[in-house]
Order: sequence, then structure tokens, then C-alpha cells
Amino acid sequence: MAIQKQYYRRKKVCKFCVERIDNINYKDVKLLSQFVPERAKIMPRRISGVCTPHQRLLSDAIKKARNIALLPFATE
Amino acid sequence: MRNYEIMFIVSPEATEEDIDKINGQIEGVITAGGGKAEKIEKLGKRRLAYIVKKFREGAYVLFTLQGDGAIIREVERRLRVMDLVFKYLTVNMDGAMKRLDKIKAHRQKRAAHRSRARNEGSERRQPAPAAEQMPEE
Repeated sequence: MAIQKQYYRRKKVCKFCVERIDNINYKDVKLLSQFVPERAKIMPRRISGVCTPHQRLLSDAIKKARNIALLPFATE
Repeated sequence: MRNYEIMFIVSPEATEEDIDKINGQIEGVITAGGGKAEKIEKLGKRRLAYIVKKFREGAYVLFTLQGDGAIIREVERRLRVMDLVFKYLTVNMDGAMKRLDKIKAHRQKRAAHRSRARNEGSERRQPAPAAEQMPEE
């Protein structure tokens, strides 16, 4: 009989839904940098728990911020 | 007329007067084309996230304006020509503004609904859901 691994995994919630952050702006580096880990990639939804509509807005904002050198494309 | 934001980076070697001069020129272009520069913000020197033209720093300027495509084209052309300007980014803000208004209206409607329900009968009130659903885009 296989031993079932039982983990308790906390349900991830979308930060933007919970904190009611409506405006995901490319200028808000402090907010966006929470979703760009060390390698400067965009954090996937499965890790951050952000919902689909907000992830879409978030990734757009991060890409705009990269264009104007507020966020890095890659770490040096 | 659309609402735009233009952000650009000026060389860190540029003096305050240089930046003012650039801002004056851009504003002139906007008003000449029949648009309106609503806000001009000098965001000051910031460290760049990556090296641009061998510089690690840059002075950021943000324009909020109303205008049409012809104005934007002219402003971008001017910015490209200027040696002191490293980079620029134009963003059309209409979509984001519309979205924000929609969410705001949605919130107000919900709040009104909730307060009405409270006045009618408080004993049958249910706990509010933890996370609010986003309205469909």
C-alpha cells in the first residue's frame, strides 16, 4: 500500500483581490518588484497565487516598467 | 482626444535648465498640435535597472497629456532627436482609466446595496465574502 503524503497547503489568494489594489501601474516599482524574483523573471501565478485578470495586468505593467528601465530585463 | 502618459529618461549629466528646456519644447509641441499638457512631473534622478548608453542613472520626467496620434508622433520624433533623452515610453491611459471607473462604480453599487440590506433587516444578514470578485473585463 502506498503511503499517502499529506501536506497541508494553505490556499493562495490573489494579493490584488484581497487588498483591493485596483491600479496596477507601471510606475509603482515597489509593488511590481514583489513579483519579480532575483532573476528578474515575472513570477508565475502558481507561485504568487495572483488571479488571471490581475496577472495579465501585472505582467503588462512589468513589461512597461522594463522598457523604461524601472525594472531589469535580467540580472547582470 | 485621448489621455496619454509619456515618460522619458534624461541623461544624468543634464542640468536642471536643460531638463526645463526640454519640457518647454515638448509642451510647446503639445499645445501647438491642439492638445493639452495636464501635468509635468520631474521625478528626479533614479538608478536605472540596467545600463543605458553607458549610464547607470537617469533623470525621469513624466508628462500627462491629452492629444491625438499626430501630437504623439511629433513628440516622439522630437524625443528621439534629442541627444540628452535616452529613452521614452508612451502609454495610452484610457483603457486603465475606464477599468478603474468601472471598478469604482461596481464598488459603490455594492456598498449601496449592502447598506440597504442592512437597513431592511439586520438579523438575516450574512457575513460578507472575503474576496470580492472582479467585474468581467
